[in-house]
Amino acid sequence: MTAPLLQARGLVQEYATARSFFGKTSTVRAVDGIDLTVRQGEILGIVGESGSGKSTLGRMLLGLETPAGGEVLYQGAPMPAPRTDAWRKLRAQMQLIFQDPLAALDRRMTIAAQIAEPLEIHGIAKGAEAAERLAALMARVGLRRDQADRYPHELSGGQRQRVVIARALATNPGFLVCDEPVSALDVSIQAQVVNLLRDLQEQEGLTMVFISHDLKVVRNICDRVAVMYLGRVVEEAPSDLLFADPRHPYTRALVSSIPKPGQGLHGRIILQGEPPNPAARPAGCAFHPRCAFADRGCAARVPELQHDGRRQIACLKPDAAAATAA
Amino acid sequence: MTFVSIRDLRVAFDGVQVLHGVDLDIRQGEAVGLVGESGCGKSVTWLAALGLLPGKAKVSGSVRLDGQELVGAPRPAIEKVRGKRIAMIFQDPSSSLNPVQRVGKQIMESLRLHRGLKGRDARAEAIRLLDMVGIPSAATRVDLYPHEFSGGQCQRIMIAMALAGEPDLLIADEPTTALDATIQAQILDLLGTIRRETGMAMVFISHDLGAVSVVCDRAVVMYAGRIVEANNIRSLFSAPRHPYTAGLFAAIPDIDADRGRLVPIHGTVPDPKNLPTGCAFSPRCPRATAFCQTDRPHLRPQSGGGDVACFQPVAAPKAFPALRQEALA
Repeated sequence: MTAPLLQARGLVQEYATARSFFGKTSTVRAVDGIDLTVRQGEILGIVGESGSGKSTLGRMLLGLETPAGGEVLYQGAPMPAPRTDAWRKLRAQMQLIFQDPLAALDRRMTIAAQIAEPLEIHGIAKGAEAAERLAALMARVGLRRDQADRYPHELSGGQRQRVVIARALATNPGFLVCDEPVSALDVSIQAQVVNLLRDLQEQEGLTMVFISHDLKVVRNICDRVAVMYLGRVVEEAPSDLLFADPRHPYTRALVSSIPKPGQGLHGRIILQGEPPNPAARPAGCAFHPRCAFADRGCAARVPELQHDGRRQIACLKPDAAAATAA
Repeated sequence: MTFVSIRDLRVAFDGVQVLHGVDLDIRQGEAVGLVGESGCGKSVTWLAALGLLPGKAKVSGSVRLDGQELVGAPRPAIEKVRGKRIAMIFQDPSSSLNPVQRVGKQIMESLRLHRGLKGRDARAEAIRLLDMVGIPSAATRVDLYPHEFSGGQCQRIMIAMALAGEPDLLIADEPTTALDATIQAQILDLLGTIRRETGMAMVFISHDLGAVSVVCDRAVVMYAGRIVEANNIRSLFSAPRHPYTAGLFAAIPDIDADRGRLVPIHGTVPDPKNLPTGCAFSPRCPRATAFCQTDRPHLRPQSGGGDVACFQPVAAPKAFPALRQEALA
């Protein structure tokens, strides 16, 4: 097993929400105690529904948000305090790729200027060297030389996402967090960008955290997948294992919700109830109100993430769920 | 029996043609999927048919509903069709609902317009509809505002409102795209149940081929403002004939196959202002010949079933079912 590049220990994030007219506030726990290891060179997938805390987790892994509790270790060392020199240096090594490339790019700058900007900011290259590096970056992500002087609105969605990726690669990072990087792209373009990310992992050994709600893409690109529900990891396993044999009742419903041609509406697990609301977290296991196997114990006790062979699972009744699956 | 018949429907915005002559029949009670990437004209087709496009759009061709022409029809005539015979739901339910009006009142407005129900009758019917689309304790929640419901519930309310006119056809434009996976499954299930119970026809517009395969009987694939292939779900998914359809399927990761590299379609969707001559897909097509770049294929019925617009279609599986039967015998 390769060494961990990044480790999260007991990560917690809370946000204050204005609750009443009189200014009373309440806190919402977006992330509620997460332990996670990202190994050198792997792609770790994070899946879960909106409000499960996956984007918040991604931002904390990058040190863009300071956790309310717990810590993140990068290459064994704790994350430096924000806005310090050490923090800025680390920024060059860790990059974020967003869902909406148009929002991530400056509309008034040519794409060449945007891709080259980090080189200048981090003092990596200047003049002819910078121009050379720019050309290499553009070629790396599949942009043509003649597109260098274009503006973002002159490019297609897929090309814009390539610009964002090229800019993220400019500083030669070791770690990327991709937050729904292909969700806004059309199917035929999605595959181009997924393959590009894959090449970066295989050829340059980039380590990635890939956050997405598209389970098919996650299964394809990720080595390991962690499933989040209301700020906690409920199951984590190698990609093949997780999708072939999901164990947690929530993971099972999630995998079953992927529409398969020819199957029709039969045999799908339809979860009752609403997506989770972090402001009104149920007691005990957060999933128990929607779970078909929950009993009184599940409403009282929060299940811990426990090892079970190659997977980790947080469920008080995994055997009941497994029995109906067979 | 054909309920809606679209012939040579064309749409242009500011002189740019975006729909290049669409022919499509929807029979009573059937569920048809309309798939394709953004800008292919799948939504514009129905917005044009129902007179919902802005004034600058130039619409020509014919859309007949039970023999009645809708294109160019006077506004009152179209308003009798919209919501009553054909209802439409959209991707983002929260922007389709009025945020400052109670949901019950919004459904009752629809009931008054389309079925003449008022007062207590309308309220009882609104509660029945909310109950039917799976809103728990509908009787007490009928007086809540849209923000008091989740995204999935808002889509259920939109569906209830669409059902208020007892339409013969529901146009669902990306109804599950904005929803989470488990809620998506709930809404697809609900649409299936409603169709079984009411016999209503449905057009399901989506870029999600999986969702289309789950709720539709047949599907129509569009590219750059034209239909390129149409067939029943089983044939289309097991043996796509148009290289674009085949490319779309190959580009989607298969949840049961190896985790190999994906097979993308090269290049990008053409700019409608600058369509290639010949077949619009030819610059991206692995099967294109010189002929494809100069001449444009028309949608033609195939001997094995389905319609395809291609000079070089992917070969149909040769008498595959017959072989299988021999093997079994």
